[in-house]
Amino acid sequence: MSLLTVSNLTKRYRRGGKVVTAVDDVSFHIEPGETLALAGPSGSGKSTIAGLVLRLIEPDAGRIEFEGDDFLALRGAKLRARRARLQMVFQDPLAAFNPRATVARVLDDPLRIHGIASRAERPRRIAALLERVGLAADLAPRAIHEISGGQRQRVAIARAIATGPSLIVLDEAVSALDVSVRGQILDLLLDLQSQERIAYLFISHDLGVVRALARRVILLDAGRIAESGDARAVIDAPQSAIGRALVAAAPRLKRTTQDAS
Amino acid sequence: MNPLRRFLRTPEAVAGAILLAALIAMALIAPLLFPGDPQAIAGPALLPPFQDWSLPLGTDRLGRDVQAELFHGARTSLAVGLAAAAAALAIGSVVGTLAGFAGGLVDEMLMRVTDAFQTVPSFLLALAFVSVVGPSLGIVVAAIVLGTWTGPARIARAEVLSIRERDYVASARAIGMHPLEIAFREVLPNALPPVLAMSSVIVAAAVLTEAALSFLGLGDPNRVTWGGMIAEGRAVLRTAPFLSIVPGIALVLTVLGVYLAGEGIVETTAVRRGLS
Amino acid sequence: MSALASIHDLTVTYRRDGNAVAALRNISLDIVAGERLAVIGESGSGKSTLALAIAGLLPASSAVDGRIEWPGPGQPPLLGRDIGFVFQDPSVSLDPVMTVGKQIAEVARTHLGLTWSQAYAKAKTLLERVRLPDPDSALHAFPHQLSGGQKQRVAIAAAIAAGPKLLIADEATSALDTIVQAEIVALIRRLVAEDGMTLLFISHDIALATELAERIAVFRHGQLVELGTTARIVGAPAQAYTRTLLDAHIGLDAAPLLNRSGLHA
Repeated sequence: MSLLTVSNLTKRYRRGGKVVTAVDDVSFHIEPGETLALAGPSGSGKSTIAGLVLRLIEPDAGRIEFEGDDFLALRGAKLRARRARLQMVFQDPLAAFNPRATVARVLDDPLRIHGIASRAERPRRIAALLERVGLAADLAPRAIHEISGGQRQRVAIARAIATGPSLIVLDEAVSALDVSVRGQILDLLLDLQSQERIAYLFISHDLGVVRALARRVILLDAGRIAESGDARAVIDAPQSAIGRALVAAAPRLKRTTQDAS
Repeated sequence: MNPLRRFLRTPEAVAGAILLAALIAMALIAPLLFPGDPQAIAGPALLPPFQDWSLPLGTDRLGRDVQAELFHGARTSLAVGLAAAAAALAIGSVVGTLAGFAGGLVDEMLMRVTDAFQTVPSFLLALAFVSVVGPSLGIVVAAIVLGTWTGPARIARAEVLSIRERDYVASARAIGMHPLEIAFREVLPNALPPVLAMSSVIVAAAVLTEAALSFLGLGDPNRVTWGGMIAEGRAVLRTAPFLSIVPGIALVLTVLGVYLAGEGIVETTAVRRGLS
Repeated sequence: MSALASIHDLTVTYRRDGNAVAALRNISLDIVAGERLAVIGESGSGKSTLALAIAGLLPASSAVDGRIEWPGPGQPPLLGRDIGFVFQDPSVSLDPVMTVGKQIAEVARTHLGLTWSQAYAKAKTLLERVRLPDPDSALHAFPHQLSGGQKQRVAIAAAIAAGPKLLIADEATSALDTIVQAEIVALIRRLVAEDGMTLLFISHDIALATELAERIAVFRHGQLVELGTTARIVGAPAQAYTRTLLDAHIGLDAAPLLNRSGLHA
């Protein structure tokens, strides 16, 4: 059984009297422990799908089945409890944390809300989480804005894994990082996946990273699925127009200078 | 540069802080300097200031010590001003946060209530409330709050509307935080700075409203108030103008002090935020 | 090869909460007239500070040591007239309450001494040159009516309106998606070639820099790590840091990371 099954998901927005279909009849599934990538240009609906899957926004039509349950039927306390299993990491870790927060508070919240550890036990759990993502435990009392971007994204990952999720939505989670940090974060994500069997819904505009990280990819265009399949097969030989455009536009290391013409 | 040093480099802010400090000192030492009832008769009636050095600011129509009244009046002004402002800011922030965060019907209802309070002039509201319920210190504070909580509520709501779209609110929802905890722990503290920036204006307005109510005889009759002193002196304005002028000056300096110090704080924190 | 600008021993220090932070340290560098030079580096490398220093846009609170010389004839260059600057985020750099046409026309009017009608005609030509669809109606559009890529085209049109010798693009494509980024890069390349401009292209993306630039300067922690032709930087990097940046690039031909973890091998 699939971990997550999304069927005929549709979301429309009203923008200045016009109805814009941000997500149009999208269906896909994710198996336990696998990485599915969503790629596409801006406005293709990939971040809206992330919001829908996380129930941060409500769809106009469609079904989401998560761990065998009708996820869209969950309400209130039941929904909040189930959120422990479905987590998220954002693009900009600075924006994703309360500007007043400390590292300890950010990690304390999920442990407290889901009753994972008693108050006395939590500092030890926080230290263990920090170590799990490759950070020193003495980072805990620091303010979020004091630590570096790479450290912040590690804290965001620690917060996401604190509740023992089976699926993490990574919304452009490595796009804003310096390249030297990006590689380390990708390694951490892969390590967590192989150790804890966490599935990833990896949302990115960067086909290079998608191809290197994901098993399967879905290419989106204007809210619709343009093409999907094995990540390497799709990216090495795209069939759809948007797939070809994305591949053509990906920056490549050039050894020789082109003439300006 | 730390904010305290920047604050101290702004002359207006320092002047405001000194005025406020003097006012607070007056209020604190009033019972020590003038331990008795400030409304007791202390000497001959209508003694002008600077005649008798045991009564340096003279006496009023009944022979009460103006200086003692002035010091005790500072207590009332300060207590009412701060209590009313604190209550108005607290109620306003909570209402604004709930309205902005909940949205929909809750927002609609809370904002119509806010409209209703805001369309009635706040002084009239206070006047009506005190005349119906009866004058006492707590009632005066409540009367002032009735007309002043709406400003903070609107500002808090506007701020919350922008904050609730931020990633960290989505992140709090994604980890399963309760909506009320999100509203009051994640959103409200970040919506507060512009609301708090209003506090000096609200304190100043509350001090003036209290004085106006007392002037009209609607203050707490068991307490000396500057407004009441001005009203007292009005009957003998031609022969003993100092009776109205002395508390009047105290009132002006208080409002000025609150305002300047408040502006100074806003300015120094704004510069700080601009830099970082 | 004549230098358009010669930077000698440039040090820029920002003061922040009483502390001095050096954003650039002893930078010496020539910008050759007519070349396409990319300045690359990660956050905190000082690459944007360099762009601001050359454009004369450093904040008043910064302390500058060293000099920037402009050996060519005439006055020292003026931003807008001799230097065009394209910022990362066009929704911030464009005036939201002024029509697109007026923003471009104003640059042309101020620096070229044109009348308003001449300036508007020039603006229309520029909108055609940056390939904005329907330039006639775009003249009267406000920035919020345009997409991110279209806004950046307008910002580029405004930057080149006075016919500058030097075009500085500071992370001008970083906020755009890959497809639009490729279009904007192609546009910049074409405009620079047509007008014989010198290009200073500031970017965090080494692959993008190699696609556009003839020479690449690698910055790190406020210092110039190395400078060379694109072929030399990519083919034979002299510094370990440059090699790190090249290795960190994950291209479409990169080996899958999945195999390394052995999960889905």
